[in-house]
Amino acid sequence: MVKMLRDTVRKLFDEKKVDMVIGWGEGTLPLSATPVFIENADEADTLIWDERCSNNLAVYLTKDKRHLVKSGKKIGIVVKGCDSRSLVLYAVENQIKRENLVVIGVTCDGVIDIKKVMKRTEGKEVLDLRIGDKDITVGGRGFETVVAKKEIISDFCLHCAHPDAPVHDLFIGQPRPANEKADVYKIVDDFEKLSADERWNSMVESYSKCVRCYACRNVCPSCYCNECFVDQNDPQWIGKSPEITDTLIFHMGRNMHVAGRCVECGACERACPADIDLLLLNKKIAKEISERFNYEAGLDIDEKPALASYCENEKQDFIMG
Amino acid sequence: MIKIEKSKFSVFIQNLVGDFTVFAPVGEGRQSAFDEVADAESVNTALQNTVQSPKSIFFPQTEVLFTYNDGDVQIPEAADKPFFLWGVRACDARSIMLVDKVFGRAKQRPDDPAFEDPYWKAKLDTAVILTLACNEPASTCFCHWTGDGPFEQAGDLWAVDVGSSYLIESLTEKGKAVLERIENASPAGKTEAAEIDSLRTQAESYLGDLVDLSELKDRMKQMWDDPAWDDIAAKCVNCGACAYACPTCHCFDVQDEGKKGKGKRIRLWDACMFPLFTKEASGHNPRGQAADRVRQRFLHKFSYYWDNYGESLCTGCGRCIYVCPVNLDIRTVVKRFLDIDAAV
Amino acid sequence: MSEFQPKILAILCNWCSYAGADLAGVSRIQYPPNIRVVRIPCSGRVDPLFIMKSLQSGFDGVLVSGCHPGDCHYLSGNYNARRKFAVLKPMLEYVGIEPERIQFSWVSAGEGERFAQVVSKVTEDLKRVGPAKRLVKGVA
Repeated sequence: MVKMLRDTVRKLFDEKKVDMVIGWGEGTLPLSATPVFIENADEADTLIWDERCSNNLAVYLTKDKRHLVKSGKKIGIVVKGCDSRSLVLYAVENQIKRENLVVIGVTCDGVIDIKKVMKRTEGKEVLDLRIGDKDITVGGRGFETVVAKKEIISDFCLHCAHPDAPVHDLFIGQPRPANEKADVYKIVDDFEKLSADERWNSMVESYSKCVRCYACRNVCPSCYCNECFVDQNDPQWIGKSPEITDTLIFHMGRNMHVAGRCVECGACERACPADIDLLLLNKKIAKEISERFNYEAGLDIDEKPALASYCENEKQDFIMG
Repeated sequence: MIKIEKSKFSVFIQNLVGDFTVFAPVGEGRQSAFDEVADAESVNTALQNTVQSPKSIFFPQTEVLFTYNDGDVQIPEAADKPFFLWGVRACDARSIMLVDKVFGRAKQRPDDPAFEDPYWKAKLDTAVILTLACNEPASTCFCHWTGDGPFEQAGDLWAVDVGSSYLIESLTEKGKAVLERIENASPAGKTEAAEIDSLRTQAESYLGDLVDLSELKDRMKQMWDDPAWDDIAAKCVNCGACAYACPTCHCFDVQDEGKKGKGKRIRLWDACMFPLFTKEASGHNPRGQAADRVRQRFLHKFSYYWDNYGESLCTGCGRCIYVCPVNLDIRTVVKRFLDIDAAV
Repeated sequence: MSEFQPKILAILCNWCSYAGADLAGVSRIQYPPNIRVVRIPCSGRVDPLFIMKSLQSGFDGVLVSGCHPGDCHYLSGNYNARRKFAVLKPMLEYVGIEPERIQFSWVSAGEGERFAQVVSKVTEDLKRVGPAKRLVKGVA
């Protein structure tokens, strides 16, 4: 698989079809892969693809990295299902020219959530990692544990309906059709059953851990405003300290801004240095969008995002009669 | 040096709780941090180090400088009890001393007490810091690069975990006063000294290759316009995870929160990665591009602080390596500037 | 003890609901004095942040009112607004904010009577749920 990927990329350079390829390379920690930007065929051998490749690489085409797209260079990008959906979103929102991208899909069975691994090792540092077909062996000083993959892949991946890039130019392996979404919103349904007090207390407990480093925002491919509302200070929208109401408004505001645009890659949750359960709020929005508007972001290049379009006769049960 | 059986550890903490606010490592994984503890049971003794650094004890993420109400200004009262920190690693104890060089008294005006930060000093000057030797440095640790080591003595007290007991040595008068409170402690002898030596050797063996940073200060400055910065900035997503996890990052912002003449002035952590960092009132930002801000982070650590205080502002704790969402490893960056084979 | 008087922010679109409020006034229709009105060009202009920020600043509730579907001065502003509210309201309720605190209505320029009814309803609802505590800065 990795060999096929490297060969494909090498060929793209040889045939002068790309000027740069964005992919994942070996990281410095056993559980981490790191984004790499390769500019010639020789560097193709630094590419890897496995369960550690958790970043959504589409993020490197917007924000401060926008110059890459504007340079008019042909960019190849290695994508999981979710990453490819981000590219579709960018095309819909006129952030990229689809023809300037060479989208290289890879088959994905989900990526590792480091915090789940740490739970399994009881906080012990992982120094060694071996990835098998169905399970992963992690080892460290004085221990070795075999864990089934599905126990340590990200919650977002467990609920993923489109693991293999629905839109791609090249595909390494054979793309599978979309999954039936099973139990995707169960956590949302369960949370809704709690009383308002319980829900509020749970949210406060969860989000008080936030240190406002904005890692979630900055790794999010859908968050690419030139100036984020939390960075507007003339006048200032919200306080910058991790005071709970400011923090909640930041997260709810962010969720509103990516509502109907979120591709559910889960990069935000995996990036969080405070291990906040970001899935719970995120999935609620996804549920509303899906149930009310029957829409999923990043699947159709000709369809506008849910909150940028409307239907005249839709349900308005939340409006006073 | 004295010896305390681990079975007596809770008595030791209990003895302190009355007169000190005791901070110790608590929590698991990425939520592990130094927090106030009421008893020894809440201390997580299994951690290699906390993911959140202890700097927030002396330099909280948000600190009220004063409150105001129609011209009436109130400065919050200082904590009534001094702080006792249990289990700080050598890297973190040293990082507190590095930040103290900035907040304790400004280098530019060393004789002028007006240039001391009263909020920082009120907490630090009375605090007693117990450094716990690091028996098992993590793979992200590189304290030996920055002139430190897992068994360096720092703080007021220095302790070693030798399995069934802790060996504790006082390094300052403040530390000595705490040790004198302990009753029935047995003195440590030659066997214990040998034990420490073997633990030290083992701990040091866990550390990776040594890199000499002495040329780094000038290299980084000479390479101000080097394309290497673009490569580093290309990968960085400009979040503040590294700066907030860092035990020595001490940049802050000051804001007023309130309305109609009533409110508070707060000091809060800032991070050089943010677009608002050093943005001027005119709207101009001398560090307008993400790449400029990435460079600022590394130059502050390895160059500017070095110019001012003669050492690097990094103590090799490795937290930034652990929390970085894109695995932009500070060791790789350093190696790149020292021409040691490393791709960023 | 006197009855709790909620403080309500009413964000009204220029073309319909603001004119409706005006009609209520010139027609001398009585309604509770609990609202503070902000006039905006169109309900489509309402950023969800306006609503969250109002709750944070101490309003007990927020009422957003625009033109009836099909009547928008800008043709589709209220349809776009409706989609935003369709997500915003359930989300705020989900995190534990009382649903009564965020209310939406359509009031035309000719519906002075209706405007008074809407304000009365929102005021009564908020009197029932009491002062806002969650999301209010400094209290929560």
